[in-house]
Amino acid sequence: MTDRTSSSVYSFASGLCRRTWNDVLSVYYANTPIWRVLKSVGLLFFGFFCWSASNLLLSYRPSWSFLYFVAAYGFALIVWGPLTHLALLPWVIRLRRTANHPLTRTVARKGSMLNLSIFLTIVLVLGIAPISPMLLDFGTLVDDGTGSPDVDPDLECTVVDELVECSLSDPSGIDHVVVTSGEVHVKTVEEPPYDFEIRRSNLETVLGQKQFTVELRDEDGATLRRYKRTVPTDGE
Amino acid sequence: MLGLFDNDYGPDGFRTCSVTGLRIHRSAENPTKLFALTAIVALLVGGIFAFTVAMTRWEFVGLLEAGDFYTHLSMHAWNLLIFWMIFMEIAILYVGGPMVLGRRLSIPILAKVGWATMVLGAVAVNYGIWTTTAPNEAPLLTAYVPNPSEPLFYAGVIVFLLGATVAALPFFATLWVEKRENAGQTLPLVTFAAFTTAVIAVEAILGGLAAFSYAFLWRMEIIASVDAAIYRQLYWIAGHGTQQINLVAMIAVWYFLTHVVGGAEVVSEKVSRTAFILYLFFINLGAAHHLLSDPAVSTGWRIFNTSYAFYGATFASLIHAFAIPAGIEAGRRRRGLGGGLFGWLTGAPWRNPMFSATIFSIILFGFLGGITGVIMGQLQLNMTWHNTLATVGHFHATVVLGTTVAFMGLTYFVIRTLFMRQFISPKLASVQPYLYSGAMAIATLMLMYVGILYGVPRRTTEVVENIPGTEFSLSAAGPLFSVFGVFALLAIAGGVLFLVLAVGSVLFGKRIEPGDNDDITPDGGLAADGGESVHHYEMRGTFVLCLVFLTAFVITYLLNWYLLSQLWKIGL
Repeated sequence: MTDRTSSSVYSFASGLCRRTWNDVLSVYYANTPIWRVLKSVGLLFFGFFCWSASNLLLSYRPSWSFLYFVAAYGFALIVWGPLTHLALLPWVIRLRRTANHPLTRTVARKGSMLNLSIFLTIVLVLGIAPISPMLLDFGTLVDDGTGSPDVDPDLECTVVDELVECSLSDPSGIDHVVVTSGEVHVKTVEEPPYDFEIRRSNLETVLGQKQFTVELRDEDGATLRRYKRTVPTDGE
Repeated sequence: MLGLFDNDYGPDGFRTCSVTGLRIHRSAENPTKLFALTAIVALLVGGIFAFTVAMTRWEFVGLLEAGDFYTHLSMHAWNLLIFWMIFMEIAILYVGGPMVLGRRLSIPILAKVGWATMVLGAVAVNYGIWTTTAPNEAPLLTAYVPNPSEPLFYAGVIVFLLGATVAALPFFATLWVEKRENAGQTLPLVTFAAFTTAVIAVEAILGGLAAFSYAFLWRMEIIASVDAAIYRQLYWIAGHGTQQINLVAMIAVWYFLTHVVGGAEVVSEKVSRTAFILYLFFINLGAAHHLLSDPAVSTGWRIFNTSYAFYGATFASLIHAFAIPAGIEAGRRRRGLGGGLFGWLTGAPWRNPMFSATIFSIILFGFLGGITGVIMGQLQLNMTWHNTLATVGHFHATVVLGTTVAFMGLTYFVIRTLFMRQFISPKLASVQPYLYSGAMAIATLMLMYVGILYGVPRRTTEVVENIPGTEFSLSAAGPLFSVFGVFALLAIAGGVLFLVLAVGSVLFGKRIEPGDNDDITPDGGLAADGGESVHHYEMRGTFVLCLVFLTAFVITYLLNWYLLSQLWKIGL
């Protein structure tokens, strides 16, 4: 490669960096109402993304401790991004024009740096000592067994002439069973093992089939499981 | 009636719009207003149920019992996904056809007949859903057989679809007359987009008539049984097709509004038209993503329709995603508006709700709806999205943040230029798109998070407090649900504000006299005066925005693949 070529590549690269840096600065300091809104909303979404994505990766790779800092950055950015561009930066820019007192002039001159320093300090502190709202919990999808029992028995029904006989494979965790057909209440079974019989003639016909619904409920009447069964009509 | 249909027409029934310069005939303008007003009524009904549904899913409030929830969810879905959208889309056909072409609406009586039939169908569907009693089930949007719904519901859907067909006929007839009179001329881009929309609509309507007639005959016990797998495929021609009408109509609105209020110019008509043609061939194949977990269809069928053929439509969307901002940038630079990298964008008329709503629709549809649509359209990644609230987040990003927000912008435009009314509060009208889009975007993001991060299922009332009868707990998703609940309320407030502004302005807004609409025309006039050809202007701001979009796309894509890869390990 000739000297001229390497020098032109270098000047192109440095020119590109300078322009990019100037563009970044001009965007950072842009202070029209729409720029404030666009930057604030953009950083709000970016913060949400960094916060949730890094938390998620952390749940799979807890050893990647740098992710705490990414999560802290996102978490702080949700508030600090809009705060900076909607309130602090406009205030600093206004101060630059109006400040008379030496202290306020210093604040106006160094305001952005001060703001960034506070923000980065918050990120560092939160990254080193994360507070609980910052950490999304992905580890409690299954309880430790102290919660409600898993109520998911099989419902077996057989048709014997005019009778439909049903039984549950496991009655535990159930307080009572309610059988309905259409809008009609057919029966409530209160005693374990909650086997029951119903007459086919008591069932409503839907689209050529007798149909009924069985609901397993707890002591508060809340539905635990719901089954829908159909029975061929008479003569089939 | 209330002065809603009064405008000053010439003896030939035409008037000239002071904003767009279009010659508008009475026969096209009045039905447009009628359909737009009816769409607003559907938005109101669906919006009421948005409140009850959101406050049920936010279990801190837990408004509805399980038995009522599905009925409310069905009312919400049918009124917003179907009635609000399709009434508005018929209005768009009349704007994109006769108004843009400067013609009368052909066979205008059919517009009235179509409207009456559609209203009859919509009322029947609403009544059918609201009065659902056992053994029938509220249908939601996925009215799958063999779950029986009220016969009136199926009948209502069929009547509505027939009404939409009748209402679209005058649009086709107008285009037919136009092409007979000007055989060698191409249609304007917006008319071309409206025509593409209408063709996809016909496809969807035919699928819908097939599916719902089949189900209706079965529900009336005229035929003994239905093949549920065939039904699902028929159903999704309409189920997803209607949403594709929304998409293409929305893009037509993007081109129209960015031009008439933002001063955008089309950078390449040929490229934009090609993108619409790609939609025509490929977009309905995207419906297959609803069947990616369906055992009745082969894996080859699923992969072809979603991972190969569907990319034709994705490519089209990417073309529009570049072409529209590029058009704004080039158009504004040509007028000497806005230097620097983004000056053309930040100097745009952001206080004009028609412009801001359109731009928010483009950005939010692209980033939240588009990226997630491609992700969940993949066979493998779909497994982590299917039937979770992330799916609900995706379609809220597409049809709410995309289409509804764009249609809100169009409604504001219709109020100012067709109803000729000032907004009852211009300040609130300026703020409304920000409030609604911002709050809805966060609520949508939370739906995606709780779905993809925690696997929270859709369509159930309770998940966080407890899934009844199980040890399985999703209580860890509680904090995100709280964020969702608060922002859902804010979004609903934004929706209420829109309805108050729209209805209030139409009824009580100060009448606009000709020439009083100058404040919504683009700076520098609708047609750029002089300057170089649009291709001589840099579009580097758009290029940077596209790079940001691509980066977000790649990161989200990789993150989803990483999540999937962690679900199970093969080998050791």
